[in-house]
Amino acid sequence: MTTRVVCFVNQFFGQLGGEERAGLGPQAMDGAVGAARAVQQALGEAGTVVATVVCGDNYAAEHPERAVAELVGLIGAAKPDLVVAGPAFLAGRYGVVCGALCAAVQAQLNVPAVTGMHAENPGVELHRRQVHILRTGAEATRMLEEVRRLVALGLKLVRGEAVGTPAVEGSFPRGVTRNVVAAESAADRAAAMLLDKLAGRPFTSEVPRPAFPSVPAARLVKTLEGATIALVTDGGLVPRGNPDGIEALNATRYGAYSIEGKTSLDAAQYDNPHRGYDTSWVKQDPHRLVPVDVARELEQSGAIGKLHETVYSTVGVATTLAHSARMGKEIADKLREAGVDAVILTST
Amino acid sequence: MRLELRWSDVQDMAASTVTRLSGRRLEVDLDALGVLLAADTRLTGLRLDLVHPGERCRIGRVFDVIAPRARLDGEDFPGVLGAVARAGDGRTLALSGVAVVVTDQQMDGVGTLAVIDMAGPTAALSAFGASHNLVLSAWPAPGTGRSEYLAAVRLAGLKAAVHLARAARDVEPDRVEVFALPPSPRVPAELGHLPRVAYVFQIHSHQRPTGLDEGILYGDPVRRMLPTVVHPNEVLDGAVLRGFMGRSVTTWATQNHPVIRALYARHGRTLWFAGVVVTVAQATEPERLRSAFLTAGLVAHTLGADGAIFTKIGGGAPHVDMAQAASHCEKLGVRTTLLVEDMSTDGSADGMLLFDFPSVDALVNVGSSHEPLTLPPMDRVVGADDLAPRLLGETPATYGTLCGAIEQVGATRVMAEVR
Repeated sequence: MTTRVVCFVNQFFGQLGGEERAGLGPQAMDGAVGAARAVQQALGEAGTVVATVVCGDNYAAEHPERAVAELVGLIGAAKPDLVVAGPAFLAGRYGVVCGALCAAVQAQLNVPAVTGMHAENPGVELHRRQVHILRTGAEATRMLEEVRRLVALGLKLVRGEAVGTPAVEGSFPRGVTRNVVAAESAADRAAAMLLDKLAGRPFTSEVPRPAFPSVPAARLVKTLEGATIALVTDGGLVPRGNPDGIEALNATRYGAYSIEGKTSLDAAQYDNPHRGYDTSWVKQDPHRLVPVDVARELEQSGAIGKLHETVYSTVGVATTLAHSARMGKEIADKLREAGVDAVILTST
Repeated sequence: MRLELRWSDVQDMAASTVTRLSGRRLEVDLDALGVLLAADTRLTGLRLDLVHPGERCRIGRVFDVIAPRARLDGEDFPGVLGAVARAGDGRTLALSGVAVVVTDQQMDGVGTLAVIDMAGPTAALSAFGASHNLVLSAWPAPGTGRSEYLAAVRLAGLKAAVHLARAARDVEPDRVEVFALPPSPRVPAELGHLPRVAYVFQIHSHQRPTGLDEGILYGDPVRRMLPTVVHPNEVLDGAVLRGFMGRSVTTWATQNHPVIRALYARHGRTLWFAGVVVTVAQATEPERLRSAFLTAGLVAHTLGADGAIFTKIGGGAPHVDMAQAASHCEKLGVRTTLLVEDMSTDGSADGMLLFDFPSVDALVNVGSSHEPLTLPPMDRVVGADDLAPRLLGETPATYGTLCGAIEQVGATRVMAEVR
């Protein structure tokens, strides 16, 4: 059975006009039109471009969600096995919609989708995690060869064949990891890497440096005497029975626990599911993690304005960056809404 | 120090009425061995099973794997089985192709099980899928606590490992592997140009407190241990055992330590093996900092190393502890390479590391233990009778479930590739 392919191009590569037609809304045409003809050529006997969908660059940039939804509708109607978007080269508006469309096609139609663009196209950073994006030049000078590689990659996805590493496929890393079997043991690779490093020879680390964004510390605009201070922890303190079911590791949940009317925490009323450290000392005396006792004394003596009556707690071990960032933002939003000025964050 | 591992290659193992090595066939008197091991009153219902490569068999509830070794010139597993005495010098009998697998019958749930498969693609991922395994299962006698139970089953495993290796006492070894390393400063002048390389071996993590009977270094539960220099032969010859909660490291991998072997293999040719520093991952920041600079001091000032390889045991805190010690080494001009586990729990490359020290930039990874893996159906389950109905069929698992697929000391070729 021949593979049904739908191509997506902008108004320029769809041969509908230049910048003056960039406001054009999504439309579908039968067969391979404009740059999609290169896709048909690359496919040869392996498949047929059954439709070409086109959208103007400005329309896509000005109504991104609507444009993608309309394009997905047009593409779905053509019942493709594969969607090829672009290549978009260095064209920014085009690249962004190519990436977004491929991601939406995969998620909503469950159809593989590939695109290609230049490293500096903003579409790369926005969508490389969800979509296979092939590296191309800045301009369409080598388009046929690049489209051949794009089609080859797309056909692998359609057939469920193994996709090579980004270096082999010439694609941007999607930032996902997969276990493979290397040629040598990790110990031998480490010895070889160390000798390279010692000799000043180039070596390739097997783990990319994390791109943790730096977060500037917020300035306290009041004096401590007038500030409301909250206690937040990722050390896992929960009321006995763990009412929110916070996971022992890989947490996706946090709890908000009232300390209203409490001058201290009674160890018998608390527990700790955290599996990343020795929790016996915290279970013996919860103040070692959440110092409500001392904070109340500071409140009484007027050293701080007020202790916030809600403690936020989660388990910080093997938590994904995505969940950490989400929980942090949610907790920060709630604290800000409650008029909290500063936080004592205890970690383990 | 000069250690001779006198290897006998075993290609078959069978139950018999006498324990002996007959050619390449290891015959084991299971009844007699069972009586020897059951003498420990902390244990009850002790059972020994033999499983073989290629057999459609799954071993469940694996606690630790021990390589059969018997010392001819000293105490076996000193401080835990034998009396406290130095290991690493003299002759030691070793069997290849055989392992002792100790199970933990109190281990809960299928999800946290450590599994060994003897056939299929999952067998190929672990060294223990290719060895003849003596599987030891025992239950705690009434009144035996958790830590006592683990100490007892581990001791039984060590006794079994020595018992099997002694079968090679009266035969000529198939090959003799020699590990000889002179005192660290004595470098022959003609080899003075070689870079000096040390290995920093984190042998335990204090994320969980050790029991008094949880001997890890010469029987010591390493509770207050500060970084210490040992000779690599001591590690190979039974001085270091896995703790009761070690994750992704077996005693077997320590006895056949891949980093120590890798450095010995290059010693005198492309590097000078300067020695081993053993450390523990600490639980609090002052302890971590103290341990980090003491480690760096031993590596740089005492061993005079130009470079160092680091490994860790356990999860996130040990990972950061190791990196902090490496960063202190780099500050003293010692170049470092670290073996890390992919720490991401959702398969995203963003979460692979829990640290970011610019100088700690040469990282090798031993794979992701969170990556899903399907265990194929088997005909027999050993070591986890009550779970057999569930474990017999196709079982969803992760790489971390499969004992020996990911060894944090770098014994395997599994790695997480960034795509």
